[in-house]
Amino acid sequence: MRRPLAKMPPFIRANDITLVFKSKNRDPVTALNNLSFEIERGEFVSIVGPSGCGKSTFLNMLLGLVRPDSGHMQMNGTPIKGPGQERAMVFQEFGLLPWRTVTANVELGLELKGVAAAQRTQRAMELIKLVGLNGFERHYPHELSGGMKQRVGLARALATEPEVLLMDEPFAALDAQTRDLMQAELLQIWERTKKTVLFVTHSIEEAAYLSDRVIVMTARPGRTKQIIDINLPRPRDYEMRLTPEFNEIKSRIWEVLKEELIPGSRR
Amino acid sequence: MNAKDYYTEHRRLVLGVFSVIFLVAAWELLLTYVFPVNPFFFTKPSLIAEAFKEQVQGAKLWHDLAISSRAFLWGFSFAVIVGIPLGLVMGWRRRVEYALDPFLTAMYASPLVALAPLLIIVFGVGVLGKAALVFLLSVFPFVFNVFAGVKSTDALLINVIRSFGGTDKDLYFKVILPSTMPYLIAGARLAIGRGLVGIIVGEFYAASEGIGFAISQAGDTYRLPDMFVGIIILSVIAVVLTEAMRRLELTVAPWRAGEEVR
Ligand SMILES: Nc1ncnc2c1ncn2[C@@H]1O[C@H](COP(=O)(O)OP(=O)(O)OP(=O)(O)O)[C@@H](O)[C@H]1O
Ligand SMILES: [Mg+2]
Repeated sequence: MRRPLAKMPPFIRANDITLVFKSKNRDPVTALNNLSFEIERGEFVSIVGPSGCGKSTFLNMLLGLVRPDSGHMQMNGTPIKGPGQERAMVFQEFGLLPWRTVTANVELGLELKGVAAAQRTQRAMELIKLVGLNGFERHYPHELSGGMKQRVGLARALATEPEVLLMDEPFAALDAQTRDLMQAELLQIWERTKKTVLFVTHSIEEAAYLSDRVIVMTARPGRTKQIIDINLPRPRDYEMRLTPEFNEIKSRIWEVLKEELIPGSRR
Repeated sequence: MNAKDYYTEHRRLVLGVFSVIFLVAAWELLLTYVFPVNPFFFTKPSLIAEAFKEQVQGAKLWHDLAISSRAFLWGFSFAVIVGIPLGLVMGWRRRVEYALDPFLTAMYASPLVALAPLLIIVFGVGVLGKAALVFLLSVFPFVFNVFAGVKSTDALLINVIRSFGGTDKDLYFKVILPSTMPYLIAGARLAIGRGLVGIIVGEFYAASEGIGFAISQAGDTYRLPDMFVGIIILSVIAVVLTEAMRRLELTVAPWRAGEEVR
């Protein structure tokens, strides 16, 4: 997945991003400090890092909801200034509208972009099928399990045909078995749709299993500490997780991450 | 289905009906056999039923109801039209909230019925004066409940809309309004109760017709059964409207149906 031509700009590029949260009566919090990295088209990249190091903040920036104090973010060579069709987020807490059925939730993004009703319903049906929710089109979110809700979140994000899928701990709220299942499905969908995925997780196992590369961030203020290539063959399956190679990669990530987790061990 | 199954399934209804029947029967029997009091000072169900039959057949009751309903509907409609947008804007625009909150909170907390004489002086004893009182009493539950609803809108959902490029208008109509709906309906329930108080107080204080006037006139002339007819009709109206609101909530907020514990 390396660039064929050295001249071509990277697909996504974050350069020296700094963000400070300032609020009255409290000390400012530097969430991100000189964070930089590049991502190629079609890559699956995970971000791991200690809690509070600014991962969600960074995804929200890429989504266009938060502006950095300094630094540049580009996609396809153009600066990211706000939300855009080519980026969509799958939220940890799902973010489904409780008063809408599954279909209407999946249609949301299309509706906001002004796609005609008949067309968006058809598109929603395709995606509901893709994420395996057929038969639940007219259910409301409160009638679904956590895994099903996240499938709706995924279908909604995919519906607008973004080039980049931003995922903020999308499976953290799921039980272990459902998570395994969703990971496998995500990989299949990724392989089929060729999206670029930026995936935040706390699970080293999850990061290693899914990704082409894993970005390990430092404790707050967040920066790129190290980027680890995962050179495991694809398609990957559950059995792969039992191989010594996989475990070796996991421990390499852990070695880098643990320095940030144990207070005082840094510097 | 045998009687026992019917009971388990409709326990709420069966027990409710039995308790009403029991109460009415006890009242009747007590006043007939145990304390046969002077009918000028107290009355009993059989006399009320008789008065009811008479009034329903006459024209005055219907006329009074129409008069009162008209004032109620005018006042209540204006409360809806003014209260909902005001609550929405207050919840969404911090500056509007800060500017209006002290004033509105003071108004909501005060016993506004005390303003009845003033309103009657300004707007007269007709429909207008009563409608003004209904409005004043029922507008605040709308304002404050809608305000609370907007404030409690899930910030995540706002981000979701924004992330798909939604406009402020989308935020209002696709997130804020629907998530405020249950609060709005709870507010409407309160507003109905307060609005009915408004009508009655207005008609007690100064009126020549209307259900409140009929009640107070019956009281003044010691026609207790007629007075109770008015009171019972009012409480039936209140119950019906409140129940209608509950049903409405289940239709406009179906996702809350699953949360309702029965
Ligand atoms: N709106 C805000 N106002 C002030 N500070 C904030 C705000 N949002 C986040 N922060 C701070 O910025 C830092 C980074 O937060 P962020 O949510 O991005 O962390 P995270 O890496 O996603 O953490 P987690 O892994 O626990 O989800 C935290 O220290 C947090 O306290
Ligand atoms: Mg986070």
